[in-house]
Parts: sequence; C-alpha cells; structure tokens
Amino acid sequence: MAIAVLAARWGLGGLLIVSGALKAGHAAELAAAIAGFRLLPAAVVGPMAVALPYLEIFLGLYLVAGLFTRAAAWVAVVQFVAYAGAIASAVVRHIPANCGCFGPQDAAPADWLHVAFDLGLALVALCIALYAPGALAVDRRFRQAS
Amino acid sequence: MTQRQLGILTVAILVVIVIGSVVYYAFRGSHALASASQAPVVGKAALGQRAPQFVIPTTQGLFDLDATTKPVFLEIFATWCPHCQRETTTIDKLYDEYKSRVDFVAVSGSDTAMDHLSPASQNDVIQWVDAFHVNYPVAYDPTENVANLYLQGGFPTLVVIGKDKNVSYIDSGEISYDELKTAIDRAL
Repeated sequence: MAIAVLAARWGLGGLLIVSGALKAGHAAELAAAIAGFRLLPAAVVGPMAVALPYLEIFLGLYLVAGLFTRAAAWVAVVQFVAYAGAIASAVVRHIPANCGCFGPQDAAPADWLHVAFDLGLALVALCIALYAPGALAVDRRFRQAS
Repeated sequence: MTQRQLGILTVAILVVIVIGSVVYYAFRGSHALASASQAPVVGKAALGQRAPQFVIPTTQGLFDLDATTKPVFLEIFATWCPHCQRETTTIDKLYDEYKSRVDFVAVSGSDTAMDHLSPASQNDVIQWVDAFHVNYPVAYDPTENVANLYLQGGFPTLVVIGKDKNVSYIDSGEISYDELKTAIDRAL
C-alpha cells in the first residue's frame, strides 16, 4: 500500500507540476479559458489566472515530496472536484465547446470526458489522502523524529 | 527544520503567491489579461430568428444589412485569434466562389490587437488583412456593436443570413469549407 500511495503521489504530483509549468507565464490564455466557463467575475478570474499555475506547481511538489501529504491530497481532491464541476456546468449550460478562440488562446473543450477525467484524478487524490503518506515521504521523517 | 517551521513557511509561500497575484493583476496586468478575464459575449442573434440589423464601413464600401438583397456571410473575428487567421483561407475560397451571389463581410470583435498586448485599432485590422491576404470586405468596429449582437462565445463566429434576413446558420470555431459551403448553398 505504501508503494501504491508513493506511485499515486508521484503520478498526481508530476501531473500538477507539468500542468502548472505549461500554464505559468500564460496568464491571459488561462484567464480566457477560465472566463469562458462564465462562473467567476473578471476581478477574480485575472488574479486566479496568475496564481493558479504556481499553486499547482507548489501542490505537485508537496505531493511528490510527501510533505504535509494528507493536507496536500485533500487540497487536490477539492481542486479536481471543482474543475469537474466547472466543466460539467459548462456542458449542462451548452456553453460552446469548440476549437474556436475563447480568448487569446484556446480553451479546454467542455465535455463529459473531461469531467470524468477530473473526477478520476480527484479519486486518486482521495486515496492518497486516506492512506497518506506512503513510502519515501518527508512526513515519515517527522513521524520518526517525534 | 521542524515540521512546525515548514508549516509556517508553507503558509507564508501560499500567502505570497495569492497576494502577489492580486497585486500583479491590479498594477502590472496587461491589457490582454484584463480583456481575457471578461466572460466571452453571446449575442442575441439566433438560428431561425431575424438577423440584428447593422451598418458598417468596410474595406470595400459601406455594408448595410437591411439594404442588401443577397444572402450574407458574416464573420466576427479577432486579429489575435489563430483560428480566425487560419479561417481566412477558407473564407477567401468561399468568397472567390460566391462573391457574385452572396455579400461577404468580416467585422472585428475584440479590443485586443494581433500582438495580444496593444488595444485594437483600424491599423491593426489593416495589418491583419495584409498579413493573411484577405480578399473579402473587412470592417474595424471600435464599438464592438456587431460582435455584441452576433458573437456565440468565441472567435470566429460565422453567420449565414438568408435573403429573408433570417439567420440560417450560426456557429463559432474553425469551421470547415464543406460545412460553410453547405450553409451558403442552403441560403441561396
């Protein structure tokens, strides 16, 4: 089980790091994608588009390292459930999901497949949260020390 | 470093990221970021309904929807939009084939220029026409009135209006030549 949690941590953490790195420095594109879901006001979308990539990288690093694993995993659960909810709301409201431009770059298409994908990632994060910290985790060092 | 110290450092880093982002957006955010943060427009134009009237000067003369007797092919575009840039080839092909039977007009609908940074301008639209070898009539709309009437949430938005002035086709995205040709043929 410890090895399985380690694999899940590295997989999910790695995904978050890569995802965040790809979006970092492209705030306008990310803002357009978020705004396309018509859920948040512009005053929130802008700062969120700036912060989100770095928060994802930060979260990914903590999961990979196994630091504050349970807390990081629960944050990931909330994040992926929120993503799934946002995409589902776009599908239900028939917000155009096509290859056109929602902003200065493409938006992720809103379809049920992406909802399922994000819910799957939330499930992985939930397993990590329940069976944290897993092998090779910094948290284990703190447990041993205490 | 103890677990407690790491916890404090974690919270501190998170606070810096969040506050830094708010400050960056408020004081250093680009025009493109502010513009992109707005929810995309969905206009009142709808399939089967009367097309909203508009009049606009184009690169080939004044276009008045009410005055035309032919079907109309309308595009709402943004010069920064890579899909709009690619779609120019498709629309040029359609224009060559149908220009004697259909009125074509492309109207700008964004306040951001091709460089993603500067505000939109007449000059930016003319540069876009030159850069992508656009042959059909193009209009710069500083008020974005036409976009507000016709946009379907993204660029490009492509509309076919029949001789009866009803919208016979409307969609957004990089639409294929075949689909647009079918839509135009249906309106003729």
